Parts: sequence; structure tokens; C-alpha cells
Amino acid sequence: MLMQAIMRTILNCKSSVDMKEQPIDQLNLSCLRKGQTGMILGIHAPDGTRQRMQSMGLRTGHEAEVIRCSRLGPMHIRIGSVHLIMRRRDAARVSISSHQ
Amino acid sequence: MKRLAIVGMPNTGKSTFFNRLTGSSSRVGNWPGVTVELLSARVVLGSEGVEVVDLPGIYDLHGFSDDEQIVRDFLENNPVDLIGVIVNATQLEHQLPMALQFCKLGLHPIILINMIDEADKLGMRIDVDALAEGIKCPVRTLSARHGTGFIEARDAITDIISTSSPVPLRELRQNLHADDELVKYSESLTSRCVSAPSRVVREMTERIDRFLLHPVLGLPLFFLTMFLVFQAVYTLGAPLQDLVAFLLDAFRGWALEPLATRLPAGLYGFLVDGLYDGVGTVASFVPVIILFFFFMAVVEDSGYLARAAFLTDSLMARMGLDGRGFVMLLMGFGCNVPALMGTRVMRSRSLRLLSMLVIPFSLCSARLQVFIFITTALFSPREAPLVLFFLYMASFASAFLTAVVFGKRYRSDEPFVMELPPYRPPVLKQVLLRGWHEIHHFLRRASTFIITGVVLVWLLTHYPEGSTPGGAGTYASMVGQWLAPVLNPIGISPDMSIILLFGFVAKEIVIGALVAMTGLDGGALAGYLATQMDTVQAISFMLFVLLYTPCLSTLATQLSESRSWKFTAYSLGWSLALAWAASFTFYQTARLLGY
Repeated sequence: MLMQAIMRTILNCKSSVDMKEQPIDQLNLSCLRKGQTGMILGIHAPDGTRQRMQSMGLRTGHEAEVIRCSRLGPMHIRIGSVHLIMRRRDAARVSISSHQ
Repeated sequence: MKRLAIVGMPNTGKSTFFNRLTGSSSRVGNWPGVTVELLSARVVLGSEGVEVVDLPGIYDLHGFSDDEQIVRDFLENNPVDLIGVIVNATQLEHQLPMALQFCKLGLHPIILINMIDEADKLGMRIDVDALAEGIKCPVRTLSARHGTGFIEARDAITDIISTSSPVPLRELRQNLHADDELVKYSESLTSRCVSAPSRVVREMTERIDRFLLHPVLGLPLFFLTMFLVFQAVYTLGAPLQDLVAFLLDAFRGWALEPLATRLPAGLYGFLVDGLYDGVGTVASFVPVIILFFFFMAVVEDSGYLARAAFLTDSLMARMGLDGRGFVMLLMGFGCNVPALMGTRVMRSRSLRLLSMLVIPFSLCSARLQVFIFITTALFSPREAPLVLFFLYMASFASAFLTAVVFGKRYRSDEPFVMELPPYRPPVLKQVLLRGWHEIHHFLRRASTFIITGVVLVWLLTHYPEGSTPGGAGTYASMVGQWLAPVLNPIGISPDMSIILLFGFVAKEIVIGALVAMTGLDGGALAGYLATQMDTVQAISFMLFVLLYTPCLSTLATQLSESRSWKFTAYSLGWSLALAWAASFTFYQTARLLGY
């Protein structure tokens, strides 16, 4: 029962968005499944965090592809030649426009 | 003396280049304006003596992490004649913006495009001349791992540094401000100068990851790997440890014992029984630590550690730690000291402090030695493994409890975003050099601390004059009496509490200290222990030993890594309190239940 509740919380991307600053209504990176891609529109996070995520490769206008998702853990994302692992909570900060 | 600073993003082979340029002559040292020690080395380039400094790997010169601050602080306070910016050839579009930031500072950088061999294999072509013209500074390509292009790159550095001079620091400080335009310019530049297949596929890495990051098999494979690493360290380490102990003993018999007739008894006892034996015991653990670093360097250089973080992150996230913290906790089961040093990969200070608070509860090999001795002495062969298993569980439980209790205090908002580098076969020379740096650092720091501790314990158990060494009337037994009100409620007798003093220095000394104190060894010592404590007292004693503090080296490492007396004292206080509470609960409950 508990496991199911946890799974539901994590798989439902809207409710997994833990954002106090700005609620995201649009599609975000954590909603994508394995093999799907999306164009990065922006990062919704405090300045320091945003700059850090951008400098690691999550730049506006670039295309992000989900290589793999562990069921409860982080996602494996590719942006160009850069491969990143990131938590869903953080992926949820990245808004994207989808074109599968 | 000219100065060359090496900068670059993590995973660009920055340290590999530094090692190739400087050999093994490097040392860690302090710098004006910078709170951490940085690796540097002096080399001769052309006719010029040049000091090369390896700065931490960063993703952004204007970012907010500790490492990024360190690089800025260094550049603002130390004149630099030339900056070598190492970039990864396979990720130019990602890495060029930071290189451009350095150009903008007017620091006369040279751009060193590393891993050119990997880019070749992926079918990428880089127009170096166009790139050099576009960013208006010299560019060279090389492979620091294999040495291709290294000589040319070094010659270029030699040429430039002979004529360049440092930028005035005041000018530099003005230039250290944000610049968004660079990213756009960098994108247009890479699209002009770099031709790559439309989708770069890391074929080999992807194929390995399909196994190692498998949703079901990934974790078991990881635990199997770690188990094999531990096995290798201790299978290879144990005979080496015996060898060192044997050599130290032989040297003692051959060179030191004859001195007994020439030196006054007190001085001889202090130098040989105290200092030499004490330091020797600790020295015999050096081979295990070297092996440990060696294997961890292999695991880390290969890129597997990033995978381990991926696999364990979901578990650790619930305790306010992350995947890297788990890897370090596991390393702590070998030895806490390298595990504490390993937390350097974490960027957020509070996350690092929380990990460093948790690691000392890992039941390290030295504590295991004590527990095996006591359980064999006091428990039946059927009970002994159960008691050991209980102690391992207590170790995990305390680590998790600590993480949960202090998760709020050391809360970090840092996003868990980590680069997943491709697998690379480790290069032996690089692994050995890294092991050497680590062990050098360990010995330099640990030696003073361990010598002080050993001397102190020897004095406590041998003075005042005329008391039986290790027996009644010594300062140590006075401390034992003094501690009695605290230790009686957890079932530890004043005699045994002296042992806790020894254990404070290093758990390795505990059994040896018992031998010295009682004059018994082997079966006789086991018999003596059985008269000193019953099984409930023994478990309570071992629980206390497990939790109260790992050893002086661990404390020293916590201090040097956190650079905070307050944090170290805090950590010590918490583990002492937790140890007492755990032993008290266990001992009193067992007694209440009539055991």
C-alpha cells in the first residue's frame, strides 16, 4: 500500500513538483519517458541553482533526451554530448516543449 | 618565478594533464585568499621556473558553489602569468562558454582541447585555427592520457609564459562579473568550427550501462563489485600488513632492544615500548590504506562511481544524503579516513558535513579486529557470528539515525545533478600517482596526531613514578576511577575503561594494550577477559567501542576536511552521547530482563 502511494506520487509528475517559488503548469522534463525528447524552455529555480544547472548543460533552446529512468531514483538525461543524472525533483524544475 | 594555473570543468582530464606536466613532485599548500589547500608543483619550462597550480574543476566561473568561489578567490588574490583552460574535445559546445569567460578576463589563457583521441573516434572534426581566431587566444589539441600532442602543448605554454606577465589584480577584479553574451557567441563559434555527427553515440559506454545500470541487476552487480574490491584489499593487504609488522618487529629486536642496556629504563620504555610500538601499530595499516586508495582510484577513474550514485540515490534521498554519500559510507567499512576525504566530490557544504557526520559510524576494519577478539573470547562459536551481525546492524542503524536527526540542520537545497562520464579504462601511471598523493597527504597529517596520542597514552599509563605500569595508581587508573560514575551504568569496569583511552587513539592498539597491561596473551588473555565481564557487559562494551569515536586519525581528518573545530567537536560529542545512550539502553534493559 505504502509502496503504491509512493509510486503514484512519483509517477504523477504534477504532484511530484516540489516548488515553492513558482508553480509549473507546463510540461517539464520529469514527465518524459525513456526515449522521449523535449526542447528546454527554462529552469524554474532560485538564481544560484538555475545558474548551476545551466552551466552543467541544461541550456535554454537545447534538446534533452531521456536515456533511462530508474523507478524511484534519478533520471539519465542527454543534452547534446553531455550525459547527466538528476533527481526527478530537479528535472521537474526544467520546463520543456514536447515534440516526440 | 612565473605562475601557471590549470582550470577546467570536472571530467576534462585536468588532473591527468597536471600530473603529466609536473610528475610526482607536487605538493598541497595554502594560498592567499583561499581557504582550502591546492595542489601545486614547480617545473622548469624552457629557461623559466614555473609554478603550476591545479585549481578545482568547476562548471562556471561565475557560479555559486564552493569550488567556483575558490577559483575566483585564487584568481583575485594571486597573480597568474598564464591560465591553461582544459576543455573536453567531445563536449566543446558545452565547455567553450567557460573558456570564453577566462578569455574575457584578459588572463592570456591557452585553450587545451583534451581527449582529442575520443573526439576522433566519435567522428568529430575541430577546425583549430578558426577556433583560435574566433576566441582570440592560442588553442592546442592533445590527449593527456596517452600523451598525443602533449609535447606541442607544453612547448606552446613555454613560449607564451616566457613573455607574458600577470594582469593587474585590480583590473581582474573589475572583469569578474557576469556575461551572458558569451554563451550565444560560443554557440555560433562551435557551429562554425566543429563538425560532428548529428547524434554522438557512446556505443561502448551505452552497452556497458545496459548491464551496470540495469533496473533489476544494477544494484546486485554494484554490491558484488564493492564486495570484490573489499576482498581484494584485505586478501592482498593482510599479508602486507603482517610483513610490515614483521619488519618493524625485526628492526626492534635487531637495533632497538640492544639500546635497553645503554638508555635509562624510563627513556627506553618511552621511546621503544611507547613511541615505536604505538606508531608501528598504526604504520602497519598503511599497506591496506594504500591498496584501498589504489582500488578506489581505479573504480573512480573508470567512471563507475557516478553509476553507483545513480543506483543508490533514491535510498539516500530519504535521509537527506545523496548517492555519493552512500558510496562513501560503504568505503567507511574499510577505513573511515579515506571515506571522509572522498566527500570532497560534494559541492554543497551542508551535504558534505552531514556525510562526514555519518561516516564515522561505519564499522571499520580496525574495530572489526577488536570485536572478533572479544566475541571469540566470550561467546560460543554459534553465538559469535550473531553478535557480529548485531554490531553491523547497530552500525547501519546509527548512521541512518544520525542522518535523519541532523538532516534538518544540514539541509541542502543543492540540486542532485551529476555528470555521467563515459567509461574509460584506468591508466596505471595516473592511478599510482593519485594513490601516492593521497597517501602522502594522509601520512603528513596523521603522523603528528598519532605520535601525540601515543605519547599521551603512554605517559598516562606509566606515571606518576613508582606506579605499576598500566595498573593501579597511574594517571590512567585515576581517570578510570573518575570515569566510573559515567561508565558503571553501562557495565564497563574502571579497569576496562583505561582500554577506552587506548581505543580513542586507534582501535588497532586496543588488543595490544590489553596485552601490555595484563602481561597475558592468546588464550590466557581471553580467560582474563571472561573474568572481567559477562556477555551482557561485553556486548555493551562493544557497542560503546563501535560508536564512541573511530580513532584520532578520523577526528584529525574530520578537522582538516571540515576546517572547523566546532564541527569536529560537535561530531565527537554526538557520537559519545549516542554511544552512551545505546549502551545504557542495552545494558539496563538486558539486566531488567534478568540476563
